[in-house]
Amino acid sequence: MTTEAPEAVTPLFEVFVRSKQGLDHKHVGSLHASDAQHALTLARDVYTRRQEGVSIWVVPSNAITASDPALKSDNFDPMASKVYRHPTFYDIPDEIGHM
Amino acid sequence: MYTQAFDIVVAGETSPVADDGDVQTAFLARIARDEKIEPQDAMPEAYRKTLIRQISQHAHSEVVGMLPEGGWITRAPSLKRKEILLAKVQDEGGHGLYLYSAAETLGVTRESLVEALHAGKAKYSSIFNYPTETWADIGTIGWLVDGAAIMNQVPLCRCSYGPYARAMIRICKEESFHQRQGFDIVRSLCEGTPAQKAMAQESINRWWWPTLMMFGPHDSDSTHTGEATDWGIKRISNDALRQKFVDVTVPQAAFLGLTLPDSAIMWNAERGHYDFGKIDWDEFWRVVKGDGPCNAARVSDRVAAFDEGRWVREAAAAHAAKSALSKASLKVAA
Amino acid sequence: MAESRLTALPESTLLTLADTCLLWGHRLSEWCGHGPVLEEDIALTNTALDLIGQARALLQLVALRRGDEVTEDALAYFREPEAFCNLMMVALPNGDYALTMARSMLLAAWFVPVWDSLAQGTDRPLANIAADAVKESRVQLRHASDWVLRFGDGTDESRRRIESALVSLWPYCDELLATTVDGTDQAERNASWRASIQATFDAATLSMPALPDAATNLLTATASASRLTLLAEMQSLARQHPGASW
Ligand SMILES: [Fe+2]
Ligand SMILES: [Fe+2]
Repeated sequence: MTTEAPEAVTPLFEVFVRSKQGLDHKHVGSLHASDAQHALTLARDVYTRRQEGVSIWVVPSNAITASDPALKSDNFDPMASKVYRHPTFYDIPDEIGHM
Repeated sequence: MYTQAFDIVVAGETSPVADDGDVQTAFLARIARDEKIEPQDAMPEAYRKTLIRQISQHAHSEVVGMLPEGGWITRAPSLKRKEILLAKVQDEGGHGLYLYSAAETLGVTRESLVEALHAGKAKYSSIFNYPTETWADIGTIGWLVDGAAIMNQVPLCRCSYGPYARAMIRICKEESFHQRQGFDIVRSLCEGTPAQKAMAQESINRWWWPTLMMFGPHDSDSTHTGEATDWGIKRISNDALRQKFVDVTVPQAAFLGLTLPDSAIMWNAERGHYDFGKIDWDEFWRVVKGDGPCNAARVSDRVAAFDEGRWVREAAAAHAAKSALSKASLKVAA
Repeated sequence: MAESRLTALPESTLLTLADTCLLWGHRLSEWCGHGPVLEEDIALTNTALDLIGQARALLQLVALRRGDEVTEDALAYFREPEAFCNLMMVALPNGDYALTMARSMLLAAWFVPVWDSLAQGTDRPLANIAADAVKESRVQLRHASDWVLRFGDGTDESRRRIESALVSLWPYCDELLATTVDGTDQAERNASWRASIQATFDAATLSMPALPDAATNLLTATASASRLTLLAEMQSLARQHPGASW
């Protein structure tokens, strides 16, 4: 599969949709558009045809910086040992009830 | 989304390249743990190539799949049917788009994939190389072709490559109305005038065998099934899916009062499945290799849309560049 | 009960709106699967669906009032071409994407104020339809105007194409402006139409062609011939099976 483009490549945008007022925007996919405004109008037609959203963000795909998957364990494994951050770490006497 | 034997490799055409053992072993261990593979993760080159081929074939199938049904939008016999069909065909375009996006996470551009389709180098589901001769075909396609596609696609929601699996989840959700609307069309025809019922039967006669072919060659003849299974791309075999499809469809046809064009169809109590007749694999390979009734027309329709759209895309790009430039100069001025 | 579902507006007005939406939606639906890019194909189909939905709602009102088992489909599929009351412009073939977008802009700019004032009107059945339709028309107007701007500002070729699209459509604008819609103010509507078109033309540095006095016989003949072809296709299957349900 070749990666050389036969014509000018239309920029790629990542699309984030807020499904309901009060919830986070969530990544739903991507699309091509000539500019951000265009991406926004197209995202409405491509990603909210079934009322999936009340708000849309678009971000140029190349503006996203991702963490290195090779560093996944270095980055995230050390959190596993910090059990004291979780409420279940602590014993609360039955007499006290909910805390 | 529609695809038959996802990832059809014609004998003699490109086949995945071998990778060095270490990458392969570590990777297979991840797959065995049922881990999802994400775009930036290390992956064997052969896995990446196979995915690009399969996902792009799948995307092409969706987009080419708009054409046979699209041809009936203007003639839909009621306004309600016109709306449903438009929404359905539009969905297929959306599926193509989600899949092209999934393929792009593997480092290819949509443009290059589309170019390969137009050059006749990429495959798509050969079911779309059959013509839609009557309105009943619109019902049959939804009922049988989308039905078969859904059966193929549901297991892909669990496939090992994250972006593909996520696209498939979205697609399967949208597909759920496609089969029902098709069944609904056929049902209306069967409950309608004798001419309508005859139209339905004639359509089933033409589409039944090509639909069974959508599941791809027999397991014993599928060259890449082993790899695809090891890689967590393929979860259920072609023959198992095909059998499942026959088993659910036979009673549906009986309900409608339609006859499936295969006298060998018979319940086999021992197997707990319906037996059915032999598929004409010569026809299958003939159509896959380009010699179906509509191969040339389908590709040339896509090429025409692409060529006629070029100036539109260029205009959008030129306008975007000019606006960006004038915004930048405003900033400098301020 | 039944009374509140019946509109008081004259049938000619309802049919002008309904038939315009229907034929225009039909034309846009022809693009489905053939759009210049996949994203745009999907966007345009949304518009076609909006228009066909509007046409259905209006035809249902007409059918309800006519009674006698008249249905939306009887009106769409079994009326003779001469009985259609659409604005002439919508019957014309799509042409290229510049013509399609220019036409969409000219029509949506007309529909926005029409729906807007019907939505605020006292005719409940129509106000309900108009309240939904005005949102759809606004999205459509923005979509089409954005393209007219891109074409005017884009490349030499796109500018040439949008200019020639406007030249061929412009003579039909006279009918657009002269058509009265009961329950709406014609002068206000036309002012709104002009203002919205003018803004896009300015942004695209396109000049507004002068309005001719009235549509010539040639224009009318072209539009009716186009409508004949369109309806022959649209109605073909339904008419092969009179009395059938689908
Ligand atoms: Fe699909
Ligand atoms: Fe489908």
